[in-house]
Amino acid sequence: METLFKRKVTVTLKYIVVTFVASLLLMLIMSSFAKREYAISIFLGFALFAMAITYLTNFSIPMKFFLPGMFFLIAFVVGPILYTVAMSAFHYETGNYISKPEAITQILSTGVRPDDNQTTFDIVIGEDASKNLEILASDPTNKKYFISTLTKKIDLDPATLKIDENGDVATAPGFHALTPSEQSALDAQLGKARFAYSSDYFLTIEGGTLGSLKRQTLVYDQATDTFRNVLTGTSYKDNGTGDFANVANKAEILQPGWRAPIWFANYTKLFTDPQIRKPLIRVFIWTVVFATLTVLTQFALGLLIALVMNRKLFGRRIYRSIIILPYAMPSIMSILIWGGMFDTEFGAINHLFGTHVHWFQSPLYARLAVIIVNLWLGFPYFYLICSGALQAIPAELSEAAAIDGASSGQIFRKITLPLLLQVVSPLLVASFAFNFNNFNIIYLLTGGGPSNTLGGDVAGSTDILISYTYKIAFGAGTQNLGLASAISVVIFFIIASISLYGIRRSKVLDSFA
Amino acid sequence: MKRWLKEDLWRHAIAIVVCFFVLFPIYLVILSALSPTGSLQVTSFIPKTISFHNFSQLFTSPKIPYLVWMKNSLVIAGVVAILSVVIGAASAFAFSRLRFKGKKQGLQLLLLVQMFPAILSLSAVYVIMSRVYSFAPRIGLGTQPGLLLVYMGGAMGVNIWLLKGFVDSIPMELDEAAKVDGASAVQTYWLIFVPLAAPVLAVVSLLSFIGTFNEFILARLFLVDMHARTIAVGLQGFISGQYASNWGPFAAGSIIASIPLIAIFLSLQRYIISGLTAGSVKG
Amino acid sequence: MIRNRFGKVAAAVVATGLISGIVTAPVHAASNTIIVWADETRGPNLQKVIAAKGDWVPGYTIKIVPFSSFDALKAAFDNATALTGPDIVVGANDWVATGAKQGKLAPVTLSSAVRANFTSNNFFDLSYKGVLYGVPLDVNNVAMIYNSKLTTKPTTLGGMVKFYLANKAADKLTAGLCVAGGGMSWGAASVLGALGGAPYVMSANGSVAASADPVPSDVVGANIKALFLDKNGKSNGFFPATDTGCKTAFLAGTVPFAIIGNWEWQDYVKAGFDMNLMPVPGVKHGSNGSAFASVSGAMLTTFAAAHGVDQGAKSLLNNFFGSTAGAVAYQNIELRPPANKKAQKDGSITAAQKGFGKAGSIAGIPQIGAILNGAPGGKSFWDLLPAFWTDVLVNGKDPVASAAKMDTFFQANIAAGVPQL
Repeated sequence: METLFKRKVTVTLKYIVVTFVASLLLMLIMSSFAKREYAISIFLGFALFAMAITYLTNFSIPMKFFLPGMFFLIAFVVGPILYTVAMSAFHYETGNYISKPEAITQILSTGVRPDDNQTTFDIVIGEDASKNLEILASDPTNKKYFISTLTKKIDLDPATLKIDENGDVATAPGFHALTPSEQSALDAQLGKARFAYSSDYFLTIEGGTLGSLKRQTLVYDQATDTFRNVLTGTSYKDNGTGDFANVANKAEILQPGWRAPIWFANYTKLFTDPQIRKPLIRVFIWTVVFATLTVLTQFALGLLIALVMNRKLFGRRIYRSIIILPYAMPSIMSILIWGGMFDTEFGAINHLFGTHVHWFQSPLYARLAVIIVNLWLGFPYFYLICSGALQAIPAELSEAAAIDGASSGQIFRKITLPLLLQVVSPLLVASFAFNFNNFNIIYLLTGGGPSNTLGGDVAGSTDILISYTYKIAFGAGTQNLGLASAISVVIFFIIASISLYGIRRSKVLDSFA
Repeated sequence: MKRWLKEDLWRHAIAIVVCFFVLFPIYLVILSALSPTGSLQVTSFIPKTISFHNFSQLFTSPKIPYLVWMKNSLVIAGVVAILSVVIGAASAFAFSRLRFKGKKQGLQLLLLVQMFPAILSLSAVYVIMSRVYSFAPRIGLGTQPGLLLVYMGGAMGVNIWLLKGFVDSIPMELDEAAKVDGASAVQTYWLIFVPLAAPVLAVVSLLSFIGTFNEFILARLFLVDMHARTIAVGLQGFISGQYASNWGPFAAGSIIASIPLIAIFLSLQRYIISGLTAGSVKG
Repeated sequence: MIRNRFGKVAAAVVATGLISGIVTAPVHAASNTIIVWADETRGPNLQKVIAAKGDWVPGYTIKIVPFSSFDALKAAFDNATALTGPDIVVGANDWVATGAKQGKLAPVTLSSAVRANFTSNNFFDLSYKGVLYGVPLDVNNVAMIYNSKLTTKPTTLGGMVKFYLANKAADKLTAGLCVAGGGMSWGAASVLGALGGAPYVMSANGSVAASADPVPSDVVGANIKALFLDKNGKSNGFFPATDTGCKTAFLAGTVPFAIIGNWEWQDYVKAGFDMNLMPVPGVKHGSNGSAFASVSGAMLTTFAAAHGVDQGAKSLLNNFFGSTAGAVAYQNIELRPPANKKAQKDGSITAAQKGFGKAGSIAGIPQIGAILNGAPGGKSFWDLLPAFWTDVLVNGKDPVASAAKMDTFFQANIAAGVPQL
């Protein structure tokens, strides 16, 4: 009876949750569809469909467990990964960020140039009797006044106008000024409007009361897909890699360009361009060294402490509480504090040891500093793991060995360590993978430096692949998202194969599959 | 006495050296938080003057809504910790206990996905969330719920992987007994597995709580509004400003922010150790 | 049974759909709101100014969005799209080239009255390929301060070094001159200037002298050997290669000269220092090391048109950012030197703000992003100068050779950058 009741409650609860989530999804599908975000609405539609099938039928039991997790993984992890892979096939860097139509619009708008004197007029925005947009322009210095519509310019006689102390006119016969709120409602229209002035020049509105004399110097011909500068006669043609280039001089391009598909060019660049390849190889080697040393030092110190405290020891609880502090403290804070401590002139480390080491200026010391800080951050984790694992190793094993006359060193080497390694090796692999991409420590501690910039180096001596790639994608100066994406895809393949190899060897997956 | 010297003295010596290593930076944080100039510059390891100005600034300065940041962090990290474990546990259970086609491939895929350098997909996440903003402004870019969704996605892989390890360590016999009683997989999950795994779920929640609490790269892009920021973004703002580094309030703020984490850690010490190793021993 | 289930669920979906509409209910500000992004100091101060007087543009409301740090602002603007981007962004002048190339910044035309408030150098700072993208806001520069409790006003760099070496022990000096604000590239550019080098040489008509040698390596090298190094070619401690701890050391009275930023002078006043501001003196009597005197700007984005507030944003640039009234109201809170010429003379602007302005006008060079940010695939000034300091002051490399290397890169950057101007 009780279970029957429980069943009813849980089933009802399930329907409530499913209904709620379904309606939420439906709502989102409708509004994303309305905003033309079709990719998102299709994804959400699939999610809704999958949810209905999974939870309202018994189509697949495992799916009942996987679906919510899969939803988040696909939306926020797999989706962005695919997007990054796609980016790597594009010429996508500073200067080539937007789509081609956007770039054309943009070039056209920078091609609208003010006249040489940068003439501006004080204007009033208004409309005529039949509600057509027009402006009333005043030139107080030359005492010239006119009304300009989208098609014609009507000069006004100053004698007929009421001119205020600034030399401006606020109204003219037949002209109805727009109120500020009417203007703001028409904002988009006003921004695009070109009011007649002369055959070459027209007036644009630059904010509510300012009109500026402009001419279109670059014109676009859709049929031939070319830009032409009307002043110089130069033509610019699509060069196939996302820019309009001067027909006569290919190096001269119009800014901005657009993201153009260049397929594998970013990848081939990695291997053919020595400017990119050389630092990349050096950074890769240091990344492997950094990740390996980090894991080894963290594990070694963690194991040492675990061994030291693997018996009843006065004050063990206090020691343990202190030792796990680095693990429990916000890591941004710890890294930045360490950064301050390594300062040459004022840092605590040089002060403590009475040395004058230039920690962050010398490649060797900077690397050492990175390893020390990472050791501090990570060894408590391995201490916790190892002390747990040591407790799980049956005491009889070592006791038996001791009776057989083995020394404690032998026991450790022959019995404890192999058993321990068997247990922690998947975690060592996981830690290696984590540190391979440990962006925070490099970014916050050394910023990748020092780099022998004068010697021609682009990458810093402590830069690991991910921090180096981040610099390429988001650094100062030129940002190259396409190239950065290509590098991340390559990093991904490297680390994935290392890890898969490690996992295969440790047979983690086999035992359950 | 002699035995104590021989057996334990070196152990104490090592432990003390390591404790010194651990405490040294922490001592310096406290030192600079208490110094009136609030710098990391060391002139002496013993403070000459002690001032609580840096601490009081956090709570009195109208420019620093410290308590609001703290609340935001606790709420966001708390929700992510709970929800991601609730969702992740279900997947972990299925990976560990259910038989289905493609399980091994699924696991490998899960592992691989985690290895993609996430920082590089930052711009992709930004684009996706700004699109979401266009039709659902309350859960898109620049909102806490939006950030929460992204964190959930990020936490999923790690959590499933960790939890699977833990689930594997729970004896099979229990759910086999339930199966004999005629319980379905779903019932086994809710009635047998969840209560049994509760401590382990708590540990993984705690780990993802800390991870979320520390994150600032995404958070500083998402949480622009002063009162929406998390503590990590707020603290980083003190010292990464283009114009000034305020080490004093940073140090003071960091100390206070660490207190809840350390308190949880120390009080759950035993759980954490057993929880962490439960996953690994069987792994 | 299944059909029944689907039916129930479908009915409930419709019902709760109404409730969950909350999620998608627009929180967009009304379409006549102009959104301005700014960093952690300018943002809150702009907010205050707008809160005090919000009707700079009739028919529109103004919303200032302050970011947690300058880095965060830059990261967000780098990623911004029309969906979430600002209408106006307040940023550094070297964003102009990047923003224009990325199609994120839109051309701006200012009224003749507003144009008269600024110098042509100011506009040059915010232009790319002859197109203006924003309104100058405040002057971004550093100046040298000397501690009058320790020393008198120096006249040459050599005199400063002499003072340091003579009083090092007695006054427990940790350094002679250090960089407290602006970092080892931007802030320390004036030290390179004092030694006889520059990122590029400006000709009298205000354009870049592309053929002039920016770093005459034997002159700069010899000056470094004579002034910054000891007999053994090691740093004599006068000029540290990093900026860490400089501010604290100056405030503690252990450094007599420091280069400080115009955004932080109040910290020095609070600590009881007089605003003894000047450019870094050169090697020869009467010469000075030029510092960057760039402006930050309020820049119009292309997103404004997409949001339907293009006209409003342009009005805001003219009426508030470009006007003297706006500049005074803002700089009375922000306390940096205003770029606006009339605002610089305003009675409410403090002596320190004016002092920085003066130091900038005695020895200031424009900050030209197209050259400084480096040739494509090459190295930027920002990376090169700190590396130079490290090489000669820390690694003990030969100053002449290092200066020659740096010179080569500077020349490459000039060659690549000048055609872009």
